[in-house]
Amino acid sequence: MKVTIKSWNAIAQWRWDTGKADQDDADEEDVCGICRVAYEGCCPACKMPGDDCPLIWGECSHVFHMHCLLKWIGTGQSKQQCPMDRRPWVTAERKVAPSNSS
Amino acid sequence: MTTTATPAVLAFVEDKWQEAFSNLNHHQPGISGLMTLSKAWKIAADFLRPRPLSQPRPKYNPVEVKMAFDVLGQTRLLYTVLENFLDDMHQQEYLIKHEVEEYMSKYEETDDPRIIAQLVNRLVEWFNAWHPLAEYDSSSVPDLWLADSQDDAPKSLGHVVTDHFTVAFHTHIYSILPPSFSRGFKVLVASTLPISDDMSDNVKLDQSAWESFFALGLVERYESLIASVCYEHIEGYIRKTCEGKWSEKMLTGMREWMTKKMVPWMCLPYARGAKNSEEAGKMMSGVGSRFDYHVCKVLCDLRTSEIFDMIVDFPDSKPALEDLKECLHRVDQRSNLVSTLRKANKKRLLHPGADTKDILTQYVSIIKCLRVVDPPGVLLYKVADPIRRYLRDRPDTIRCIVADLVGDGENGTSLVDDNDPLVPLVSRDVEDYTDVTWEPEPLDAGPDFRANKPGDIVSTLVSIYESKDLFVKELQVLLAQRLLNVTDGNYEKERRNIEILKVRFGEAALQVCEVMLRDMTDSRRIDQHVQSQKPSLLHPIIISRHFWPTLQTGTFTLPSRLRAVQEEYAREYTAFKPDKKLVWLSHMGTVKIEVELQDRTLEVDVPPVSAAIVELFSERDRWSVDELIAQMGRIDRPSVSKGLLVLVDLGILKEEETDNYRLLEIAEEPSSEPGAVPASRSAISMDELPGAQTAQQQQAEQVRMYWKFIEGMLTNLGLLPLDRIQTMLKFAPGYDRSIEQLGMYMEAARREGLVVAKDGMWRLNR
Repeated sequence: MKVTIKSWNAIAQWRWDTGKADQDDADEEDVCGICRVAYEGCCPACKMPGDDCPLIWGECSHVFHMHCLLKWIGTGQSKQQCPMDRRPWVTAERKVAPSNSS
Repeated sequence: MTTTATPAVLAFVEDKWQEAFSNLNHHQPGISGLMTLSKAWKIAADFLRPRPLSQPRPKYNPVEVKMAFDVLGQTRLLYTVLENFLDDMHQQEYLIKHEVEEYMSKYEETDDPRIIAQLVNRLVEWFNAWHPLAEYDSSSVPDLWLADSQDDAPKSLGHVVTDHFTVAFHTHIYSILPPSFSRGFKVLVASTLPISDDMSDNVKLDQSAWESFFALGLVERYESLIASVCYEHIEGYIRKTCEGKWSEKMLTGMREWMTKKMVPWMCLPYARGAKNSEEAGKMMSGVGSRFDYHVCKVLCDLRTSEIFDMIVDFPDSKPALEDLKECLHRVDQRSNLVSTLRKANKKRLLHPGADTKDILTQYVSIIKCLRVVDPPGVLLYKVADPIRRYLRDRPDTIRCIVADLVGDGENGTSLVDDNDPLVPLVSRDVEDYTDVTWEPEPLDAGPDFRANKPGDIVSTLVSIYESKDLFVKELQVLLAQRLLNVTDGNYEKERRNIEILKVRFGEAALQVCEVMLRDMTDSRRIDQHVQSQKPSLLHPIIISRHFWPTLQTGTFTLPSRLRAVQEEYAREYTAFKPDKKLVWLSHMGTVKIEVELQDRTLEVDVPPVSAAIVELFSERDRWSVDELIAQMGRIDRPSVSKGLLVLVDLGILKEEETDNYRLLEIAEEPSSEPGAVPASRSAISMDELPGAQTAQQQQAEQVRMYWKFIEGMLTNLGLLPLDRIQTMLKFAPGYDRSIEQLGMYMEAARREGLVVAKDGMWRLNR
């Protein structure tokens, strides 16, 4: 018998690649430390998830919704610090190189 | 000692005697006065004496009779003559009695009302024969006076005699007539009614009959009987003409019929002696309005009894409903209508045998119909309450409503009228005090009645449930199902539906659906890009997981070839969107595969599980289910069995023995399973449709595992709120459900009667 695949209509979910090693999907999902909404959701100001409400990676390894963090940084009391560890916020260049092949 | 009368007493007695004597003697000399008197008495008594009909009253010289009466009048004996006459009548009564018995026994044998008519005529003959003043009409006897013995005030003898005679005669015949007479009389009266449509002259013929009825006092005596004949006739006519005829207004027709046919007839008993139509009209007005009321009442009763079927027939039955409205104005039968309709609904609609869709359709019709009948909506409110309560308990109500909202109606009969203006769902609980056209609520409105002013159908349906969130959730599931089954990339219909629903539910509520639609378009765009970079067989729909209903997750290990395709696509995707990666929902979707076997080549659409199984079979001809599961990793047995079944249906595999399958390189005669091939098609399509739904069911299934825990804690602790249950369940090993999922499960358990919820607290149903 010979089987040829002609076409395939599949369904997939997208996830942000937060750099953490592949964890079980069913496990407690990551939420933005500021708005407590899942990364794949959107920040309170947005309506569309995904590219319209991207994440921002800090060098301190913390990840937030970009809009949430920018809003935080915009306030005076933030002192330009990461809200999680109070280190000065430095946006990571581009997060860790794609590691999904492993 | 004997008593001796004193001379004074004796003188007094003698005086009196003389006076009486001379009075009788007319102050005539000798006894000639007495002679005249006795002659006059004889003439008068003989004149008056009731005789059998066979011996007609001899002709008397009226002058002589009159003189006789004059003489008697002068001696104040007229009253005695009258009494004598009434006595005679009593003695002669047997003559009539005899005849009446004859007629009645004949009637009882034949039941022919004509015999009653004959009897009546005969009685009239008797009446006329015995009437003391039969030869005179009342106007010609004003000069016969009867001096009243008490106060000497003269009274018209004519009237007194006639009155006394009539009363006496009536008394006699009533005492004679047997009870069966009233039955016969009723039939007789009924037979005079205008039955066919052109009876105008026939009515006139009956005039004499009615005169006889009056003469015998039958009209007064049987007034209620005549009225009931009338009522019955009206009722019969209306039932005959109007029953089941809902397509035109009947009330006006009925009223016309009343004026044309019934009123002329009714003039006879009710407007006797009216000189012109105006006078008759006056006399009839009381009776007329009573009968008009009856017309309305009968029609109202009829329509009330038919209401359920009328509602089924809506809008064809609209004229009948308008009739009903008009009748209800006249007759206060609203509560009757409500209870009838409620009873009918309970009996014919709200039972397990009725389809939810049908119940909804009927409910919508009820809404529309009762809005015609009663615009303020009080009736509707009262009738709708049980229906709404019932619908709330049906698990698939929301699904039905939502399916209809998105225009999923298979047979095109949508609950929602397209002409209905699109109105946002807003609840206006507060009265608008500046409203100039404000009207108080109707009298029979209950305290909890709330006029739903905007009142379009959809908002009424949605308001069956307390919150519209449920709808949005169900809508989401339905939309997911539809979107995932669209393969040609044409989402226009769905988009349109969502736009329409947005107007109703508000933009914010449907944000989720908006995201889902965008996911679809985005997927296409991404796919186009990926294909342009590196053509792939894979065309995935990439979804934002928080915005879709929970789908069947769980991945199994695809055979290498399929996995390679997947991984390659995922790499391309990550290259295109560097921050994102893909998680495949391997259970879902379809794979088009071409299977080349020794004797045939099949091109089929199968679910990925089946594709994976085929792939495995290409390595080896025989597999057992357990082996397949071992190969495919994390997969549950039902999924594998389903995948296998699809292939068996397609004639690719065969189950040799339980749980052992063999590849059919050479097709076997499908004799063992006739019609297997057509069945296969349906098996696949059936399988695909409820993708999202089955996922939900699976979730429920998984929560069910924890039922023992829930049961235990509710037994120990009694009442618990949902979040307590959730926190406690978190201690259970491997529990990872959200509180919403738990809530859904508890709701399902409540429907099954396992638990009871009150004020947000749950307890076991014991």
